[in-house]
Amino acid sequence: MRALCWHGEEDVRVEEVPDPEIANPHDAIVEITATAICGSDLHLYDGYVPSMREGDIVGHEPMGEVVAVGEDVDTLEEGDRVVVPFTISCGSCWFCEQDMYSLCDNSNPNAEMARKVMGQSPAGLFGYSHMLGGYAGAQAEYLRVPFADVGPITVDADLPDEQVLLLSDVFPTGYMAAENAEIDEDDTVAVWGCGPVGQFAIQSAWLFDAGRVIAIDRVPERLAMAREHGDAETIHFEEEDVYDRLLAMTGGRGPDRCIDAVGTEAHGTGLMGLTDKAKQQVNLEADRPHVLRQAIKCCRKGGTLSVPGVYVGHADNVPVGPLMNKALTVNTGQTHVQRYLEPLLAKIEDGEIDPSFVVTHREPLEKGPEMYETFRDKEDGCIKVVLDP
Amino acid sequence: MAADRQDVTIAEPRLPESGPSRRSLGRGGRLAAATAGGTLLVLGLRQRSVGGVTATVAGGWLLYRGLVGGRADSDTEGTRSAGEADREDTTAAVETTRSVTIGASPEAVSERWRDPETMSRLYGGLLEVEARSEDRWHWIASGPLGASVSWDTRVIEDRSGEYLRWESLGNAPVDSEGAVRFREAPAGRGTEVTFRFRFEPPGGAVGTAVTDRLGIVPESLAAVVLDRFKSLVETGEIPTLESNPSARGAGDAL
Repeated sequence: MRALCWHGEEDVRVEEVPDPEIANPHDAIVEITATAICGSDLHLYDGYVPSMREGDIVGHEPMGEVVAVGEDVDTLEEGDRVVVPFTISCGSCWFCEQDMYSLCDNSNPNAEMARKVMGQSPAGLFGYSHMLGGYAGAQAEYLRVPFADVGPITVDADLPDEQVLLLSDVFPTGYMAAENAEIDEDDTVAVWGCGPVGQFAIQSAWLFDAGRVIAIDRVPERLAMAREHGDAETIHFEEEDVYDRLLAMTGGRGPDRCIDAVGTEAHGTGLMGLTDKAKQQVNLEADRPHVLRQAIKCCRKGGTLSVPGVYVGHADNVPVGPLMNKALTVNTGQTHVQRYLEPLLAKIEDGEIDPSFVVTHREPLEKGPEMYETFRDKEDGCIKVVLDP
Repeated sequence: MAADRQDVTIAEPRLPESGPSRRSLGRGGRLAAATAGGTLLVLGLRQRSVGGVTATVAGGWLLYRGLVGGRADSDTEGTRSAGEADREDTTAAVETTRSVTIGASPEAVSERWRDPETMSRLYGGLLEVEARSEDRWHWIASGPLGASVSWDTRVIEDRSGEYLRWESLGNAPVDSEGAVRFREAPAGRGTEVTFRFRFEPPGGAVGTAVTDRLGIVPESLAAVVLDRFKSLVETGEIPTLESNPSARGAGDAL
C-alpha cells in the first residue's frame, strides 16, 4: 500500500510499504477513505517527539471502511463505515472501565519504554512514536486497528466525511479541553491557540455555558475564524501584551478558566522565548512551555488550567510558585476519545455543530509532504488538511 | 542425576563474540545520553531478538536521561554513563523484581500463570520455556551467533492462588530461580502480582554472550513478562507489532 512515512525533521514521503495484517483476534483492518493531518503531527515533522524511527508511518485521524475483522471482533463487520479514534484502548482494564481510555494499560507494546520516561505508560496511539506504542499510523491506504470493538464508531453513509472525520481527535480534544476547564455558567474562558483544537475548545466552551470566550493567536485567519465562527473576542499576542490585555478585559481578575491548546512548540516572546528555542534545539529542554507560563500568570486566583496541547518531555522555568500560591487546578491528558464519540456524533447528527468549518484543504495523499509544509508554515490560510489515500 | 543432565546443554558461539562493551556509551551530558538513547532504541527496535528488547529498553532509559537531565541526588552524574548504574553487576547475576495489578481474582490469575501455554507466550522472544511436567520446566536462553544455554527448573513451593517458587536443578549450568506472589488488591482492583526472577549464567564465552543479551537492563525482563501476562488475562491477547508496516518493511520489536 502507499503510506506517508517519517524520515526525520521536515522529511515525510509517500512510499510503498507492506499492507497491514490481522495480528490479534480483536484487530480489524480499515481501508482509509479520509485522513487528517493533526497539529500534533507537526511536532513529529519538526523533530521534537522522541523515539520516532526512520520509515514510521504517521497519522492518527482516520475514517474508512472495515475490510477485515479478527475472530473475536463482535461489533464490526466488513463494509461498516467507521471513524477511528487516535487512542488505542482495550476496553477491559481498570482505566478503560473508568472511561479513561487514553490511559489504557494494555495497548502499548512498548510500555516499558514509556515507563522509563513517565513512570507509567499511557495508551498506545496510532503513528505517534515507539514510546507511545509504535503502531503504524493512518495516513495510509489501510490501517490495522487493535481492539476494534472499543475504538471505531460506525457512522451513517449520509453524513459527509468532513463532518464526522474530526471525531477521531480534534473535536473530542477541544471538547475535553472545555470539560477539563471546569467552566461554570458565565465564566470567562481564555483559549491560547486558534488551530483546530482551539477552535473546538471555543465552540465547546459555549456548550458549557461560558459567559465570554477570549482567543489568543497571531495568525490573522485563525483569529478571524475564532471571532466569526467561534463568537470569541481575540488577542493578537505579537501586537498586544497578553497579560495586560486579559487583565484589562476582566477588571483585573484574570480569566476564570485558561486552556493551553498550543503545547510544546509555543512561540514565546522576549528573552525567555528565545532561550527556550535555543535550549530545545540543542536538546537541553524538550518543551517550550511559553503558553503554560503565561496561562499560570494570567489565570484568576483559584481558577483552572486545562492543557490539551501536547508536551513531550520536560520544561524549564515553569512557575510552580505562582501555580501553588494562586491555588490553580490543572487538568490535562491525551483525549479519552472513546468517551466522547457517541455524545458528539449525536450533536453532529442533530445539527448542533458541524465540525467541517475548520477544514481548509482537501488533497490526495500524494500531496501530503507538501501539505505538511503548508500547514506548519500556516500558509495559504491553512487550518486543517484532509488527505484522500 | 543423569536424568537431569540430559536436558542441559551449552552451545558455544560459532564465532568469537566481541559483544557490545559495557562501557562503550561513555560518560555523558544529556545530549550524549539522548543521542545514545535514540541510537540504542533504534538498534533495539531493529532487532527481533532478546538483544532487541533489552537494547530498546536501555535506549528508552537513556532517552529519558536525555530528556530529564541529571538528577541532583545522582552519584553517577559526571562519572559514569547514564545507563551504567542500571547495568552494573550484570556479569554476576540478573535479578529483578516487579509488580503489576491485574483485574481478576488471585485464584484465576494464579491458575492462568500455571497454564503451560501461558508460560511460552510470556517469555516469547526472551527465553524459550517448555513445560516438561506439572512442576518441571525446561528453559533455553540464546545469545548471538548460535550461543545458547539451557537448564531445567522445578517448582519447590506452590500455594495455589498465593505463591509459586521454582529453582534450577542442582547440576544445571545456570543458577536460576523465580517466584511469583498473588495478593488480593485493595478496592476491588483484582490481584497484585509480584514477580522475582534471578538468573546466574555460566562463566566463559557462553555466559558472556547470553548475559550481553539479557543483562543490559535486567529489570526489563520481569517488566515485559508481567505486561504480557496482564494483557493476556485482561484482554485475551498480547499487544504486538509483529507485522507492523513501515518503510522499513513489516514487523517491529519482538
